[in-house]
Amino acid sequence: MSTPALELSGLKKSFGKAEIIRGIDLSIGKSERHAVIGPNGAGKSTLFNLITARFQPTAGTVKLHGEDLIGLEPYQINRKGLSRSFQITNIFPKMTVFENVRCALLWSQGYRYSFWNLVNRSRDLTEGAEAILEQINLTERRNLPAGTLSYAEQRALEIGITIAGGADVIMLDEPTAGMSHSETDYITDLIMKVTEGKTLIMVEHDMGVVFGLADRISVLVYGEIIATGKPEEVRGDPKVQEAYLGAALEAEH
Amino acid sequence: MTDQITTDPTKPSERMRAGSMTLTLGPWIVAAVLLAVLPFIFTNNSSITIMNQMWITVIFALAYNMLLGQGGMLSFGHAVYAGVGGFACMHIMNASDFFAALPLPVLPVFGGLFGMGLAMIVGSFSTRSAGTVFAMISLGVGELIAACSVIIVAFFGGEEGVSGDRTYARPFFGTEFLQQIEVYYLISAWVLIAAALMYLWSRTPVGRMANAVRDNPERAEFLGYSARWVRFYSFVASGFFAGIAGGLFAINYEILTEENLNTTSSGVILLVTFLGGVGFFFGPIIGAIAFTLLQTVLSLQTELWAFYAGTLFVATVMFFPGGLAGLMMMHVPVFKLGKARLLIWPYLKTLLPALIGILGLSALVEMVFHVRHAAYGDDEMTLFWTTFNSHDILPWVIALGVTAIALGITRANVPALRDAWNEANTAGGSA
Repeated sequence: MSTPALELSGLKKSFGKAEIIRGIDLSIGKSERHAVIGPNGAGKSTLFNLITARFQPTAGTVKLHGEDLIGLEPYQINRKGLSRSFQITNIFPKMTVFENVRCALLWSQGYRYSFWNLVNRSRDLTEGAEAILEQINLTERRNLPAGTLSYAEQRALEIGITIAGGADVIMLDEPTAGMSHSETDYITDLIMKVTEGKTLIMVEHDMGVVFGLADRISVLVYGEIIATGKPEEVRGDPKVQEAYLGAALEAEH
Repeated sequence: MTDQITTDPTKPSERMRAGSMTLTLGPWIVAAVLLAVLPFIFTNNSSITIMNQMWITVIFALAYNMLLGQGGMLSFGHAVYAGVGGFACMHIMNASDFFAALPLPVLPVFGGLFGMGLAMIVGSFSTRSAGTVFAMISLGVGELIAACSVIIVAFFGGEEGVSGDRTYARPFFGTEFLQQIEVYYLISAWVLIAAALMYLWSRTPVGRMANAVRDNPERAEFLGYSARWVRFYSFVASGFFAGIAGGLFAINYEILTEENLNTTSSGVILLVTFLGGVGFFFGPIIGAIAFTLLQTVLSLQTELWAFYAGTLFVATVMFFPGGLAGLMMMHVPVFKLGKARLLIWPYLKTLLPALIGILGLSALVEMVFHVRHAAYGDDEMTLFWTTFNSHDILPWVIALGVTAIALGITRANVPALRDAWNEANTAGGSA
């Protein structure tokens, strides 16, 4: 088997005495869409933050395409091809929608910290950003400050920013949280479309979204993964039903 | 919108749409013409002195806004970068052999390089974070270097500062810069160059990312940019242009002292920039012009000019956080809707009494000041072309009465103004 896109082994995190992540081993293959589910407080977002170096783990390793990520800064991890969105919308609210996307393209198009290029002059940047806007259906909102968009549009913009850099591993933290049904469908289609051929890791509460999108699912309870597998396997797993899914599925219906 | 990709770059109109030609030359040409023509309108020497000071402040304020407005970094010690650049230029002026070979207009570049060098040293540790930490370090470093002015006498010249003579430079196309007007054009050329470069900077990848880091450093990090390095580059560039301003100061005044480094100067530039408005590129330009006028013209009229400047600053922070530029740009939608006419009368009704009220208040302030501080027996004072006895009761009654009535009228008219404003900002309806 080829190197997994993302591999976690023995990952642990404690805040003081509280052990939030208690040893996680997980391997996610290339082009796999993987969902992490679990009850509130299970440590899903913490897990995300550990992978992307928002927090430093207490123990264990994170490997991206076989390369160790521990000790790297977020921007270094991003340059290696891992990009993420946040549970709470995290965009540049005062800049226009177009600018938001263009900023996300700068590094990947090799502009780095240059001060001898003018961004307006670059057709690659302009067209690249236009293409992303087209993909996330925000072309008409192009020149509005991002902070004035509706919630669903801001979430779509954040997904746009996340994928713009061309990272091949995309992590989405609750992309549909707080959305209405139609908005959720819209975002689900969008995720489906923009992550074509990429590795996707997402935390999600909405079971409809999870079972619709994911190739494999991991269930995280109290900082441990109690089951990993194809959606139908996980759904049938008695441990999972006991811990989480039963209650959640009942609530769904 | 799919035709975006297939736009024909040879047609200017479509090039605009593709976003590759959005740099407009118009404002720059207007600025260049204005700079060239102004000395023919304001011919006397004192006006030219004021304008020289103004343009130097413009460069400094724009440099400062690279940090405050564009990078979200509040510096309390930015005068040191201009100051060190200026001191370096004074020493070059005094290095007779080297200076004799150097055309004077090139000198500010050295100021810039020294400002930049210092900014690189300080920036290497101060830009690690923005916010309070950055502000405190900038204040500390500012104080430290200002204190050095009496310690490192060789460079800062102690209490009397360093002075020199700009005319020893190599003549520049026959010009020796003996006259104020020649210096004026030197400074004007530099203000254009520096402002254009700073504008272009804001359009480069690192300039755009400065805005991104200001708005959301964490997100910027997850886009592949180190917030710290982005801040560092902004800081260094700002130090460079501040140093240019310092170099021009050296050329204009031919003396630099501790005053060019201290926190008062750093505070003034913060005030100037904020007054003009940090949100727009041209804000600091307006701020520098307004503040220099206030400082030079008002200080001839009253000893209390700093009190008024402070009041204006507080009022700006509280009521118009966008500064003068923000206030101007607020009216753009109204003009776009073609409803500016609706505002004229309500503005007159509110602002005229407000102006009278403010003048009345300042009259009261001046009278209190006169009563408390004039020499014993000197009861006569002149205010608004009227001479009266400040110990009489009548002038007080008049001043108080006028102020109270004017402010009362202002207050009464504010709701009407607010309605008119809302009306003017609403699309549709009869204009």
